[in-house]
Amino acid sequence: MPPALDELVEELREADRQERIELLIDLANELPPLPDRLSQYKDEAHRVPECQSPVFLFLEREGARIHLFADVPPEAPTVRGFVCLLVRGLDGATVEDVLNVPNDLIQRTGMAEILGMQRTSGLSGVLHRLKAMVARTEAASTNQAQQN
Amino acid sequence: MADYAHPEVLVSADWVEQNRDNPKVRIVESDEDVLLYDMGHVPGAVKIDWQGDLQDQLIRDYITAEKFADICARSGIANDTTVVFYGDKSNWWACYAFWAFKLFGHDDCRIMNGGRKLWIDQKRPLSKETPSYPRTNYSVKGSDPSTIRIFRDEVLAHLKAGKKLIDVRSPGEYTGELLHMPDYPQEGSLRAGHIPTAKSVPWSRAVNEDGTFKSADELKGIFEQECGLNSADEVVAYCRIGERSSLTWFVLTYLLGYPKVRNYDGSWTEWGNLVGVPIARGAE
Repeated sequence: MPPALDELVEELREADRQERIELLIDLANELPPLPDRLSQYKDEAHRVPECQSPVFLFLEREGARIHLFADVPPEAPTVRGFVCLLVRGLDGATVEDVLNVPNDLIQRTGMAEILGMQRTSGLSGVLHRLKAMVARTEAASTNQAQQN
Repeated sequence: MADYAHPEVLVSADWVEQNRDNPKVRIVESDEDVLLYDMGHVPGAVKIDWQGDLQDQLIRDYITAEKFADICARSGIANDTTVVFYGDKSNWWACYAFWAFKLFGHDDCRIMNGGRKLWIDQKRPLSKETPSYPRTNYSVKGSDPSTIRIFRDEVLAHLKAGKKLIDVRSPGEYTGELLHMPDYPQEGSLRAGHIPTAKSVPWSRAVNEDGTFKSADELKGIFEQECGLNSADEVVAYCRIGERSSLTWFVLTYLLGYPKVRNYDGSWTEWGNLVGVPIARGAE
């Protein structure tokens, strides 16, 4: 895991139940707003369909590195908090880093204990979607490289 | 609210503001999102979580009567307390908690019309303080759960008897285009579709944009004119895990006054995995 993500996961894991709730609220409040240039693309192609709330994820590549942007409504702070964890923990990561993020990330943070099983599986959808998007940009850039 | 069959179960945000210090009243927030309560709630409200508090963590069922009594006791809820539920998503989870309280026979349960969203939209006060109340001596009165809850074998008998079913999931889940919510492996079903003869009425049709319930006339338009229900019918409502359908159960039972409505909490995650039960696909 990239060190930034590792640090956030560790912080959550070591917290007790109430501290964990507060850390997640802080993360939810700190999710950076979606840049204007991306907000016009809030469409089905960028929506995470696993989430009940309208959650939009965006990727930009800068050479081998990826940058992650997201829009999550304030009424869904748990999703905002988790997405902020991913945005902060994975900004500037490589494609490989993202694909190597463990699928049980939510369990590792200890969040599963406060969320319960059903909510946890909704959040897993965000991580799966992110990995699928990263894999797609990688495939697209490989194709482009071959064509050139 | 006057046109509803049981208008007393629905209270306004004004009523809550006037009664939140009333020792006979306890306000309870019940949300889908676990962080919302800690980010600010109706001052004096306690939190009861449908998953962490009301569901058994081992068996797929509700908690025991002893645990329920303990939750009430620690929340300062006595047997004669008026419990007012509110929450996010147009009171979807508040209705689920309301239904669960009725399973245990709590007398005076109400819903705050408009839920959390309307309270916030109207810029009413919010508090981050978790209140504590003197412990009560709650004794579970119990009720006959079979009047509001139904199990799979009875659903099959209900279906065979030609009685009414309402499916409150999204249209895609109903027709079977969506097997389940993608990537929700733990909430999945092996078969997609709906229980034959069930009418599709997505739960959200019963609520307005601002989170309040639609008027009695509008609700009758949906459930009676469109679906052909009438108050003498025995009705079973279901969804995926029984939460959205508890809102529809609330609407039919209290707002329209149907005396024989039951929530099938096994819902599609059970029916779509049962061996040998009938399933229909497509629109009906």
